[in-house]
Amino acid sequence: MLWVDKYRPKTLDQVLVHQDVAQNLKKLVTEQDCPHLLFYGPSGSGKKTLIMALLRQIFGSSAEKVKVENKTWKVDAGSRTIDLELTTLSSTNHVELNPSDAGFQDRYIVQEIIKEMAKNRPIDTKGKKGFKVLVLNEVDKLSREAQHSLRRTMEKYSAYCRLILCCNSSSKVSEAIRSRCLNVRINAPTEEQIVKVLEFIAKKERLQIPSGFAARIAEKSSRSLRRAILSFETCRVQQYPFTSNQIIPPMDWEEYIFEIASDIMKEQSPKRLYQVRHKLYELLVNCIPPEIILKRLLFELLKKLDAELKHEVCHWAAYYEHRMRLGQKAIFHLEAFVAKFMSIYKAFLIAAFG
Amino acid sequence: MVKPRVHRLTGDREVILHRSAGGEGRNQSTVIGRVKTPQLPLIVWSPSSPLVAIAADLVDRGSNVGFCLHVELNSTEEVDCADAMSQSDIRKWFMKSHEKGNGNSASKPAKSAQALPEEPVQGSQDNSGRRKTSKYFSAEKPKDEKEMVEVPVKRKTQTDSHEMVKPSPAKKIHKVDDDDDFVLPNTKEKPVASTPRKKLKSGSGRGTGQKPLDIDESDDGDDDEVKHVETPSKSGGRGRGGGRGASVAPSGGRGRGAGRGGFMNFGERKDPPHKGEKEVPEGASDCLAGLTFVISGTLDSLEREEAEDLIKCHGGRVTGSVSKKTNYLLCDEDIEGRKSEKAKELGTPFLSEDGLFDMIRASSRAKPKQESKKSVDDADVPISKKSMQKIELKNCTGSAAPKDVASKSLAARASLDRKKIQTAEHSALTWTEKYKPKVTNDIIGNQSLVKQLHYWLANWHEQFLDAGSKKKGKKANDPGVKKAVLLSGTPGIGKTTSAKLVSQMLGFQMIEVNASDSRGKADAKIEKGIGGSNANSIKELVSNEALSVNMDWSKHPKTVLIMDEVDGMSAGDRGGIADLISSIKISKIPIICICNDRYSQKLKSLVNYCLLLSFRKPTKQQMAKRLMQVANSEGLQVNEIALEELAERVSGDMRMALNQLHYMSLSMSVIKYDDVRQRLLASAKDEDISPFTAVDKLFGFNAGKLRMDERMDLSMSDLDLVPLLIQENYVNYRPSSVGKDDNGISRMSLIARAAESIGDGDIFNVQIRKYRQWQLSQSSALSSCIIPTALLHGQRQILEQGERNFNRFSGWLGKNSTFNKNMRLLEDLHVHLLASRESNSGRGTLRIEYLTLLLKRLTEPLRVLPKDGAVREVVDFMNTYSISQEDFDTIVELSKFKGRPDPLGGIASAVKAALTRAYKEGSKSRMVRTADFVTLPGIKKAPKKRIAAILEPSDEGVGENNEEAAAEIEEENLSDTEDLEDSAAGEKLQKELQSLNKKGVQVHLDLKDSGKSSAKKAPTGRGKGGSSAADKKTTARGSATSAKRKR
Repeated sequence: MLWVDKYRPKTLDQVLVHQDVAQNLKKLVTEQDCPHLLFYGPSGSGKKTLIMALLRQIFGSSAEKVKVENKTWKVDAGSRTIDLELTTLSSTNHVELNPSDAGFQDRYIVQEIIKEMAKNRPIDTKGKKGFKVLVLNEVDKLSREAQHSLRRTMEKYSAYCRLILCCNSSSKVSEAIRSRCLNVRINAPTEEQIVKVLEFIAKKERLQIPSGFAARIAEKSSRSLRRAILSFETCRVQQYPFTSNQIIPPMDWEEYIFEIASDIMKEQSPKRLYQVRHKLYELLVNCIPPEIILKRLLFELLKKLDAELKHEVCHWAAYYEHRMRLGQKAIFHLEAFVAKFMSIYKAFLIAAFG
Repeated sequence: MVKPRVHRLTGDREVILHRSAGGEGRNQSTVIGRVKTPQLPLIVWSPSSPLVAIAADLVDRGSNVGFCLHVELNSTEEVDCADAMSQSDIRKWFMKSHEKGNGNSASKPAKSAQALPEEPVQGSQDNSGRRKTSKYFSAEKPKDEKEMVEVPVKRKTQTDSHEMVKPSPAKKIHKVDDDDDFVLPNTKEKPVASTPRKKLKSGSGRGTGQKPLDIDESDDGDDDEVKHVETPSKSGGRGRGGGRGASVAPSGGRGRGAGRGGFMNFGERKDPPHKGEKEVPEGASDCLAGLTFVISGTLDSLEREEAEDLIKCHGGRVTGSVSKKTNYLLCDEDIEGRKSEKAKELGTPFLSEDGLFDMIRASSRAKPKQESKKSVDDADVPISKKSMQKIELKNCTGSAAPKDVASKSLAARASLDRKKIQTAEHSALTWTEKYKPKVTNDIIGNQSLVKQLHYWLANWHEQFLDAGSKKKGKKANDPGVKKAVLLSGTPGIGKTTSAKLVSQMLGFQMIEVNASDSRGKADAKIEKGIGGSNANSIKELVSNEALSVNMDWSKHPKTVLIMDEVDGMSAGDRGGIADLISSIKISKIPIICICNDRYSQKLKSLVNYCLLLSFRKPTKQQMAKRLMQVANSEGLQVNEIALEELAERVSGDMRMALNQLHYMSLSMSVIKYDDVRQRLLASAKDEDISPFTAVDKLFGFNAGKLRMDERMDLSMSDLDLVPLLIQENYVNYRPSSVGKDDNGISRMSLIARAAESIGDGDIFNVQIRKYRQWQLSQSSALSSCIIPTALLHGQRQILEQGERNFNRFSGWLGKNSTFNKNMRLLEDLHVHLLASRESNSGRGTLRIEYLTLLLKRLTEPLRVLPKDGAVREVVDFMNTYSISQEDFDTIVELSKFKGRPDPLGGIASAVKAALTRAYKEGSKSRMVRTADFVTLPGIKKAPKKRIAAILEPSDEGVGENNEEAAAEIEEENLSDTEDLEDSAAGEKLQKELQSLNKKGVQVHLDLKDSGKSSAKKAPTGRGKGGSSAADKKTTARGSATSAKRKR
């Protein structure tokens, strides 16, 4: 089993980072009135872990007995019926799903599922836990329509159903939803915390880690605990015993983006743009989300860029990222960014060096 | 300025050589001879020497070449004078005239003129159709180099023996002529003026011309001499070429040099250098009649299409490639392409654009003369009638000789009368009805199919009804024999007509059922069937014949069922096709089905029961022929070119052609090419432009001149594909709007702008599709197509070595589908991971963060550890996370990046094999895991089948260890409480599996057989057999085990 999963805290008490949040949550649920919750924070900070631990806290071990299902919903959308398929993770008391997978039909998913849950009220009539929990992941990717319909249903069915929403950025969740939830921000763990966790794992695994090695991993992980643990294990697979100057292998796609960035820096021509397009396609085809590609590419470019241009390039990256979200064909916008960058950079080079 | 030119006339016809004296009026041209040109060209050649026009009829080993020496003095005066003269003589004449030099070139021809009077006599003996050719061959410009080369090459083909010998002499000769032109323009123009002298000169040509008929062989010697003398003076370039080069260069900085020869530049033909600068002449509408042109390369001022139109307007014909029938190769510069090579080989004369203009101009000048001539002709109609008929006959052979003006007017007059009568008679009938084919031979094209249909129908009864017992056996033996026939083809090409005609011919009684009848599934209730649904009556009809089988057919009318428009069976005709098929099966009468699109999804099942006959579109010539008949009988005066154009515009739809013709006949009695073009211009716009053509046009070098609505039309031709194609190719264009761009900055910034605009287009597209804002489609077209192309249109260049310089097809579609596939695979993996309950990550996280490590964990041990240990470790890991073999492949696949090392690299194949073996090993103790119960997205298969698939030992899946099995079982019980059915089945199978080892081989084999057919993505496609076999085996024990396990 991977360490990430092996050493994932199962209960709120086991939590190593965000202990304060965990304790607050514990109090919250033990006081029996669980409001809707919105967890947000960068990836790898422990939102999911906290949610699972919270569910366990509410429902006990039955929350862990989940079933993966690929459900089909028949949705009556005006004149036609839409068949929607979605993978859900459900136990008797909760359902977890990722509505944004349904694309622009996510609205129907949100409505249908909540209705369905409202219909099957848990039989556990002791009164206290007379509700089900619906965990929605990636709420920030929900379309505006879906968020609107979520808003209404949140209130309508609040008697039987609690929502736990989870997302990276609360800014993309509509104000109305945010105000209906208890917002819980999960910070990215600090590097010290990460080091602590890594050392904890090393101890459990009975590994010797040279001093500074954990810190290096933590540094490389950009404060994502998951990444830190994963790359820690990658290092372990790669080479053991550790040496303090061991290379921490980057992710495969990061390497590739690095390559693209250096391609772009080396030459700015239509030909190079064409080659870059192929490489971008390669990344997209391998299921790397375009936003991440753009972000990463920007970082790689910024590293090599003259300070003068950084501001402008950042502006354009943001500009094209926004457009990418508005649009559908990510490659167009990625390419537009690259083309823009090339034209700026080329003009800059020629102005500077003639 | 006098410009010599070589023209070529082909076709089996006779040419009248006539001499006309410009000063005395055109109508006074005297016929001086007739030259027969069976199959071989008449070459019109106008040297610089004045006043001479000689045509020579050459008899050289059975082949005739006519040389016509022809001079045009200036724009108003033209002197044609022709004489027959043998090949060798001409050559001698050339030489002599050159020897004599520039000054007294007149003296030589003077002799030939004397012989002239004799010629007409000889010619009239031939008594052939007449044709005025010389007037078409006006010449103004100095001959181009290639044209000079032309003569010798041509002669080479004719006189095999003179091989190497010829090229140079002719070249030389022309050269000298050119020099003459340039040096002494004045001296030549003077002598031209007087007619008597002209006669004299041409006479001299004649005189020499008679000799060589005897001494044909002697020219070899001459040639040799000539060759020796003249080779050195080769080449020298032509003035015009240089001038053009200069004029091209400034425009966009890409001279001709940019292209590496004609072939490489294919597809990027340049703008005519003097586009629109020349005045396009107006000429007599049939002045080019009978001439066939091939256009090659870039013309001086006309676009190719314009030139084509011009030629067609004047009655000429334009074909795509050079053949024997080609009269001229129209080109202004020799681009060394295939066309010019072929033309040289065949001896087709080259014609420059100016030459073409001159021909047309000449005709308009010649018109008055013609008219008067016509009156003469009309006067002595009885004499010329015979010859006219001859010409008519010859026309049929395909060379499309021009109609004599006289004959035309005559025919027109006659047909007008006829028309009046006819229109009075059948004004009610539409032409499509009126000129429907009456016999099968009338059907245009597809004769072989009609024959096939005829044969099939004629033999139908013998084949299927003859003897009841025999029938079955025969059918089994001969699957090729079908009881029904399916005619398919585009509308208006005569499918229904052929079906009807054939049936009629064979005396069948037709029952036609088409889309206007309801053709749904027959109702089971008989009372409804009798009066009601048509399908029932079809059934009735189809089976009724059984009664009459034993009767005499000849007394009994045979019936045939024509099911028209079967692909139109839609919503209202539920089950129509199925019913039709069952009708075919039981039918006692032949059934002919007719459809437009054979490959329609609806007809997929029907196709198996039918003999397929696909009708093809008739060629335009075939159609034009038939249309001509119609036009003639309607008294409509149309020329063939116009009809061909019509046929082409309607793209093979005979019915539409007739309708159009009918419509036009209402307003005019004479239809010219121009009328057809005008008439169909509107409809032509609607015809499909392929996205590639659209993109080519939008990106074309002169796309800047397109009007906005044209661009809009182009981009709207396919609103999905055109933007994709543009996006794919826009980086390849070197924008012509950017002048000199040393460092490519401007280009790069244009590309960036274009890319942004394409992005806009994408955003628009989302609005359109998602929120159905179709009013935005224009904006979408603007930003995704028009703006990028407006910025970047220019010359296409290749970016990759070995790439062809054509627009690529969009890569997005393919990439998108790969992306979707990979996403699905990733989702499978994700679901499996979730089902293992070890991980709880999202799909995105899985890809971005987990995948690298997963891959490492799966492949690294295989690289470093010893084989057995490695395999065990990997299989264990896979089991922990419920990773199946497909998932393994997915992980590897998703980690592959082009240009980076293969993730599986460095793993010995033996280890891989061992890993695969380990999976198979697992099959014996296979556990059914929760993951196996999860239906994967997009796969609508019952879990039972999936499990049956897992049962299949040899294929895929991971073996499970027994220790883990225990844990799994527990988990399963916990999770499966909600779907009892599944778990029950699963447990049964589990039990089954445990007993499988004891049970032995038989089960294995069963399963293998049934499962073998599955596709690679195994669990989804298992055969039914597998599951049923498994089910059978387990039913007995099933209840017991499941009860026990439920606790």
